[in-house]
Amino acid sequence: MTFRCAIGRSLLGALLWTAVAVVSGSAETFPDFESQWRNPASDRAGWDPSKPAGSAQQAPLTPEYQAIFEASLRDQAAGGRGNNYQSSCVLDGMPRLMNLVAPMEILIQPGLTFFIFKNAFARRIHTDGALMPAGEPPSYQGYSTGKWVDEDHDGRFDVLEIETHNFKGPRALDASGLPLHKDNQTLVKERLFLDKNDKDILRNEITTIDKAFTRPWTVGKNYQRVHNPRWSEYHCQPPSNAVFIGLDEYRLGPDGRLMPLYDNQPPPDMRYFKPPQAR
Amino acid sequence: MKNRMQETFDRIATGLKVLFALLALAIAGVPAAARDTLYPDLASQWRNPTAGRGGNPWDPNKPMGLGQQAPLTAEYQAKFEASLKAQKEGGQGSSRGSTCEIAGMPKMMNFAEPMEIVIRPKVTYFIPMQVPARRIYTDGRDWPADEPPTLGGYSIGKWIDQDGDGRYDVLEVETRNFTGPRVFESTGLPLHEDNATIVKEKIYLDRNNSDILHDEITTIDNALSRPWTVDRIYLRVRVPLWIEKNCHESNPHLTIGREEYFLSADNKLMPVRKDQPPPDLRHFKQPQ
Repeated sequence: MTFRCAIGRSLLGALLWTAVAVVSGSAETFPDFESQWRNPASDRAGWDPSKPAGSAQQAPLTPEYQAIFEASLRDQAAGGRGNNYQSSCVLDGMPRLMNLVAPMEILIQPGLTFFIFKNAFARRIHTDGALMPAGEPPSYQGYSTGKWVDEDHDGRFDVLEIETHNFKGPRALDASGLPLHKDNQTLVKERLFLDKNDKDILRNEITTIDKAFTRPWTVGKNYQRVHNPRWSEYHCQPPSNAVFIGLDEYRLGPDGRLMPLYDNQPPPDMRYFKPPQAR
Repeated sequence: MKNRMQETFDRIATGLKVLFALLALAIAGVPAAARDTLYPDLASQWRNPTAGRGGNPWDPNKPMGLGQQAPLTAEYQAKFEASLKAQKEGGQGSSRGSTCEIAGMPKMMNFAEPMEIVIRPKVTYFIPMQVPARRIYTDGRDWPADEPPTLGGYSIGKWIDQDGDGRYDVLEVETRNFTGPRVFESTGLPLHEDNATIVKEKIYLDRNNSDILHDEITTIDNALSRPWTVDRIYLRVRVPLWIEKNCHESNPHLTIGREEYFLSADNKLMPVRKDQPPPDLRHFKQPQ
């Protein structure tokens, strides 16, 4: 009798537990974003993937920033890096990070969604409704707040709307050095949702509002789901023959001595070394 | 007799709970609420209390360097002492920190910067602030045959319900398949260059304080005369602040050829030792 009671209690408890879990499962309201995502476009693609990189992007730059961009293109044509600081492993930051030159994984939690990148630090999207905390230091990734939207009213969220601000720089939109304003007052708005006809495509509509532009600039990016992902290890390392002193770039010669990157580049400042007679 | 029967009932009850839990997970596609009741609460930010206090010793109960009393073989003890000597003279020794390369396992569990843990049934993620995430596969997979070796290695884990209450409480992890060089701490405490390291971890919440997370890390390595176990501790931060920090930007160390230098706060080259000459600028047209 005691045995029967105990088993009965156990069964009842277990069934209740199962019911709770299944009911909560039916209330699972987030879309199927949890996966590895890749951008099929090449890493040299421009910010707007529907147009070639460089001037052909037809970015709505102000005259001042158009001139900065053209100087960057000229510098790159001459062998420099222009406004593309990636070679010194400065973080891409937002919105360039969402180019996904390497794969990304999304993890959704009720108040926080993670974008985990192979080649960058994780991005946190705060979806708990809280404002950015006071004193939050500016960063390349900025501070992201998000909101899940049930656009088709089927009881399940289908769009993640994100706003990101509180930046530091310098940041560029792509490898050509397409610039953002140095005041770092950028506001990035994103809408992420699965393609209606193909759940293996994640769409990201990104609108960048920045004083380097004459108007908000919206581009659409598509990420492809990878069903059996593998993750390789990546960590940014500058080219072995590159030497960065602050934001100035130099080269290491075959003889191990410092060399200029371009003609007439001045040597680095040596004020902290004692002159030979003082050593 | 009664106690034995009660024990049997308890075991059956636990078994049924786990069985129905798994059934529920299968039906409901692993809903968040089920995950929350099956796995321990590891949410929020975790910080290493020994970080940022002028060092980050591998065994947190002992001072860095020789004070660690690491069970090194004679060969690797000599390498370690050479590293310490080089550092005393202003160099980096065997420490890889100045290169901004990933520390790799097991040093990456030092967590000089805070991290967050996310649990999914098939993968547990350690998401640090400063380096890419660590994935621990808990889906029962075997060691892959063609995985390229990495500094972080390949981690396979298993959740254990040690106290039989129907809820997992310990994550056991084994990590293999390494490349190198790797060290335990910034003093250059070395691992063997054959990279045949095996790292075993037991990760669990402290029984008396659920805001303390233990990671018992046992390192088996040919640089060591015996397996070396340390108990690393992380403290939960309920209201976390995440500060972006890029090693390459905050790294004041610079190497030109074979010479090491230091970058000043105003981004100018500085000597790392007394009377160190400046780099040879003969390739520049107007050397200062």
